[in-house]
Amino acid sequence: MPDERPAARSDDRTLRLVRAAQRGDTLAMAELLDVLAPYVGRICAPIALDQGPDAAQEALVAVFKSLRTLKDPAALRGWVRAIAVREAIRTAHRSARSVPADLSTLPARGDPQLSADIRDVLDRLSPEHRAVLMLRDVEGLDERTAAALLGVRTGTVKSRLHRARDTFRKAWTS
Amino acid sequence: MTEPWPLTDLDSVRRLRALAAGVRGAHVTEAHLEAPFEQVWALLDDLEGSFGQVVPDMERLRVISRNGERVEALAYSKYGMRARLRGVRRPGWCWLQSRFLLIGVAAAPEGAGTRVAFTGGVRVPGRAALIPVGVRREGGRSVQRLTDLL
Repeated sequence: MPDERPAARSDDRTLRLVRAAQRGDTLAMAELLDVLAPYVGRICAPIALDQGPDAAQEALVAVFKSLRTLKDPAALRGWVRAIAVREAIRTAHRSARSVPADLSTLPARGDPQLSADIRDVLDRLSPEHRAVLMLRDVEGLDERTAAALLGVRTGTVKSRLHRARDTFRKAWTS
Repeated sequence: MTEPWPLTDLDSVRRLRALAAGVRGAHVTEAHLEAPFEQVWALLDDLEGSFGQVVPDMERLRVISRNGERVEALAYSKYGMRARLRGVRRPGWCWLQSRFLLIGVAAAPEGAGTRVAFTGGVRVPGRAALIPVGVRREGGRSVQRLTDLL
């Protein structure tokens, strides 16, 4: 489902870049890469964690391989977001098979580094749960849009979110 | 949102891999060099000097204009051909195109050394595509020449 919120629409400069890149201008592609890399990194990092750079790279490889298939350049961000989430989840699962996550340690109570707390809690969630949380709290999507993007039912998103929130609450109040 | 969520940024070599994926026929040649990034990039950043020695079939390169990261240059081939290259140059990154040529170079620190990546070749005019002849060999030559200069 395309995201029609104003924040998801691309600005004029980005639209021009997409059109020029689709026509084969590699300088426009390079400039578009500069625009997209931080956004893709922000999507991939909370889902793929340590494999964030690998996931972001794979997502951008997929973006540039199929850029010509993007029919509506104004939908760029939503299209890129869907690719980034998919690649981040896939990368996270791939690494989880080879390097089992260590779930034995709890975040220290009252840790002054809030970012460390978030990281610890994200470590406890599955990649899909991390994706749901990121889509809602970082990207600001509603549950219906997040469900469409992940290809699951809204009820599944709600239950994943509930579980993710519950894990956060337990970790922060333990 | 006030929580500091994890972030990630892509280094130049990863960016080059992603961009080259969108250029049909492109090949990325990579190598780890046992030299610090500053030393490696000093060679690649010297567009009118050592850069021309590293990039295959280029006799010399003359910079016509610079505007921030943007650069325009004339490249002279050993075979007398001339190309007007336009592109972007910043530490660890150089991406130049003309109607018939594409040159992409990236470098990023890797341990105590440097990872370098090259791509490019003869462009299908005006397209994000290369004529896939010799692209692997040329990349290998660039790595060898750069290694020889260090």
